Amino acid sequence: MNLIRLITATRDEVDLLKTYDAIVVGSGAAGGMAAHVLTSRGMKVLMLEAGKKLDIDKELKSTEWPYDHKRRGEMPPDSHALSLNEYTIRQPPYAADTKYKHVQSYVQGWSGSDYSKNIVVDERDHPYTGTNYAWVRARVLGGKTNIWGRLALRLSDLDFKAKTHDGYGEDWPISYKDIAPYYDRVDLYLGISGVKENLPHLPDSIFQRPIKLTAAELRLRRSLKKMNRVVTPYRAGVTTDGLKHNQYRSKCFGRGACNRRAGGCDIHAAFDSPTGLIMPAMDTGNLTLRTNSIAYEVTVDKKTGKAGGVAFIDSDSGKTYEAKAKVVVIAASTLESARLLLLSKSSAHPNGIGNSSGHVGHNFCEHIMGPHVTALVKDQVGKAHTLDDGKPGHFYLARFRNLNERHPNFIRGYGFEGGAGSSMFPGNTMSTPGFGASYKKTVRDYSGAFIEMGAFGEVLARYENYVDIDPAMKDKWGVPVLQFHYKFGDNEKKMAEDMADTAQEMFNEAGFEIVSVGRRILTEGWSIHELGTARMGTSPKASVLNQFQQSHDVKNLFVVDGSSHVSASCQNPTWTIMALAWRSCDYLADQFKKGNL
Amino acid sequence: MTDDEADIGVESEGWLTRRDLIKLGASAAIASSLIGLDASSLLAAQAKAPLFFTKEEFALVDELTELIVPTDEHSSGAKAALVADYIDFRLSESFEDQPKIMWREGLKLIEQLSQEMHGKRFLESSQEQRIALLTRISQNEMKPEKPEELFFKELKSRTARAYYSSKIGIHDEMEYKGNTYQKKEFVGFDAT
Repeated sequence: MNLIRLITATRDEVDLLKTYDAIVVGSGAAGGMAAHVLTSRGMKVLMLEAGKKLDIDKELKSTEWPYDHKRRGEMPPDSHALSLNEYTIRQPPYAADTKYKHVQSYVQGWSGSDYSKNIVVDERDHPYTGTNYAWVRARVLGGKTNIWGRLALRLSDLDFKAKTHDGYGEDWPISYKDIAPYYDRVDLYLGISGVKENLPHLPDSIFQRPIKLTAAELRLRRSLKKMNRVVTPYRAGVTTDGLKHNQYRSKCFGRGACNRRAGGCDIHAAFDSPTGLIMPAMDTGNLTLRTNSIAYEVTVDKKTGKAGGVAFIDSDSGKTYEAKAKVVVIAASTLESARLLLLSKSSAHPNGIGNSSGHVGHNFCEHIMGPHVTALVKDQVGKAHTLDDGKPGHFYLARFRNLNERHPNFIRGYGFEGGAGSSMFPGNTMSTPGFGASYKKTVRDYSGAFIEMGAFGEVLARYENYVDIDPAMKDKWGVPVLQFHYKFGDNEKKMAEDMADTAQEMFNEAGFEIVSVGRRILTEGWSIHELGTARMGTSPKASVLNQFQQSHDVKNLFVVDGSSHVSASCQNPTWTIMALAWRSCDYLADQFKKGNL
Repeated sequence: MTDDEADIGVESEGWLTRRDLIKLGASAAIASSLIGLDASSLLAAQAKAPLFFTKEEFALVDELTELIVPTDEHSSGAKAALVADYIDFRLSESFEDQPKIMWREGLKLIEQLSQEMHGKRFLESSQEQRIALLTRISQNEMKPEKPEELFFKELKSRTARAYYSSKIGIHDEMEYKGNTYQKKEFVGFDAT
């Protein structure tokens, strides 16, 4: 019995003479969700994806042992993953003047990189300019959901009403109660694992079977309880009990080594857009998919001034086409969506479609990373190894800063992701000094005895952090590229200092022996959580979209990905992207049926 | 689907292949266990000339890697895990010249030091003398400066990467339990 159906690799023939009810640009978390909601409401949808449709299971080969791979999972020698130093010392475009045949973002430096080399883009073909930024892109059906980290968190009113709380920035045009029913729907439709904690600032989901903690993680949890801080099992966007309504996904079997393929999951227990959303949408008969289709302009109907469709380039042939639709839904990822809006200039929309406010590309925000701590858990030394990575993740430590008290140095907060225990490849081979029998035994005895965690903090949305179109440079297909004007600010830097201090303090409290404390801030972009650039709001002068991610300027244009987020919060954004997209597409379908679009 | 169906469905794909592999490898494994080598190293023993190293260099690298991760009572070491073969292959296809130069020069340094310290070639020196040499070049391991210290770090890094990603390293030495479907609960403790 084959439980997992493979995605067929045929190219679809697409009727471009027809006017679709909606075009969705992009097939990741947001585009997949838009396709799911609109097709289930009976709308005829054309999805355009810039990348290929890969047989992702054949790419990931999740159960292949390192020694069965010629290079133990590493890329061929003519391929190069950008390093932290390159991102820091050099300026984009990072692949300029390279000798390598392929240059890819830093995620290809992780182990098992040969399995994701076709999923992330080649920087040679996809340059960008401006300030330093580690921009990770996956041009493939499903986008980054094929390899995402799976941490699935909700935002709360502390995030949606952050300005009310501390006076900075803007509130979102929605409250938690507006989005909560849609978080519930996402939980039930896609599956999420976790433990209820009843935290007002990190609302619980409707959880399936939780993952378990290692002994050291449980000790940290108990110890931090006394400090009123919460370590909870990783809230994973992974179905651990199975989903009766989805034939393409299996429940998690705790196989382990989940991180070897930059996060990929061949049984699709971890959510990915193709099996979670797109293939079920195909089954409605209402979805048409065209891959290898690089959208470069939202076209405008001259009579009405509304969006008329999407112009795109076939990435194989280089030919250009136009698809027509009554509604255009952009879900190309935060930065690509901004690029597409800015590229869509016309007499009706001289600054780019939907950009009468001048805010497209601005208020760009994300999560700052880098500070981390590693410690030794002495009572775990020499213990027999258990399957500590046989689960989708380890732990999440919820935000504790600026909840009720005010920190003197910075506003907003951060959370930690971390873990303890053994894994397939010991993490202490180079930190263990020496050689010989004692070296070998020390690596073995200590490899499961470390605990570590690293922080993700909110980067404030600032108008002066933005992207625009580079006046000269174009990508491989002749489409003008993005130029970055983006830097971390003082608030983030002060927050990062506190991250390292509190990390150390908490591990000390738990009685762990600190091995190292990292204070270095990683290059902008490292979290792969870019947000903002087309924010929602009540004022058409200071925002791009209304609360339903609908353009203030063009009523049949929606932007349903992370670009709509008003602030970054410190929680990983994927679950919020999907809950918001569901809510907006529900509204879109209602308005469409009423003839209001 | 019921849980049982799910278990059987996935298992029939993953496990049968593994079992077949074990069956195929069984006879070779029995033969090799008699002389303390694993099946793949038996095959490699009859193998071809090195791709990048000279035969002399290869013999030196083989010994150096075994000194770093030796066979002990717990599991076989770098030689049995064919660590030198893997290093040789990766260097042979290296895109940059720098690692190739570093290894060639590094091995020369080992011989020079061996002459200087013990008046003989490394492979002609005693076990104690070999260890004394490695001890000397690993002194500054966390902050290497001299060329031989930098080479030690490179040698150890490649040895560790190759050994701990090998069959022996993963299964025998680390006793890794994952990458197979678990029929029961996740391993660990409830969040209480």
